[in-house]
Amino acid sequence: MPDNWGFVTAAYAVAAVILGGYWRMLIRKERTVTALRASSGPGTGARAEAEGGVRDDHTSRSRQPSRPGHPRPEPAPRPPLQ
Amino acid sequence: MTTLLGWLAGVALVAGLVMGFGVAPREVSQGNVQRIMYVHVPAVWVAYLAFAVGLAASIAYLAGRRPGADRLAHATCEVGTVFLGINIATGAIWGKPTWGTWWTWDARLTSVAVVFVMFLAYLLLRGAIEDRERGARYAAVLGIVAALNIPLVHFSVYWWRTLHQPPSLLKPGASTMPPVILTALLVNFAALALLGAYFVARRTRVLAAEDEALA
Repeated sequence: MPDNWGFVTAAYAVAAVILGGYWRMLIRKERTVTALRASSGPGTGARAEAEGGVRDDHTSRSRQPSRPGHPRPEPAPRPPLQ
Repeated sequence: MTTLLGWLAGVALVAGLVMGFGVAPREVSQGNVQRIMYVHVPAVWVAYLAFAVGLAASIAYLAGRRPGADRLAHATCEVGTVFLGINIATGAIWGKPTWGTWWTWDARLTSVAVVFVMFLAYLLLRGAIEDRERGARYAAVLGIVAALNIPLVHFSVYWWRTLHQPPSLLKPGASTMPPVILTALLVNFAALALLGAYFVARRTRVLAAEDEALA
């Protein structure tokens, strides 16, 4: 019987592509989760919005000390009174 | 720990390739195309193992409602589906030169395709239900039902007349395989099992982080 090296190569290549694809998907998911966790700190971001709170970026930002060379950003517009 | 597992899997994969292509001899009747066996068979063993852990974790989740058990079930079933996909794809590639066809609806191939589709449905179900607790509960039930089909896949070659050969190892009695081929097969199984464990560890960690971020 002929050796059919093309089929052997194809089988190992397909396995490598599937495993490599899954590995890349895991890395992408890890990055997404890391970004999600970074944006959902206590009292801000996604978590605050999910809890029905109001983002108070202007108050937290105003308490941050200004760094030399980086001008303090303009405060966000005041949220409407409830 | 996970990183160590990843490195071990990498080294074992290299060892498996060396065993499969450098040490194991050319098979007499099929020629070198038989070397597909060193990825085809270990892939399905790892899938079986993953689904067995998924079955146990699903039962544990339904019994105790622990999120950790649900995450383990999710990760193992996902990784098992990946390895089962490799098994089906490499089997089709092996089937063309040896059987003359990529696919045939014999009992082994059909039953393994049914299990694969059931686990794809399991993963789709998890993504389709927004209520995480309800999704986990339904997925656990589907995971148990799907995993219970694995004995049907394994014994299908005994119960029905199939084009697929009967198992050479997971059967009663001694193996008829030459020791060097058996060793190459087991080294490749160890390599893919380590890789599967590495994937499960990483996937479980991602699922835990997702739960924490969305809590």
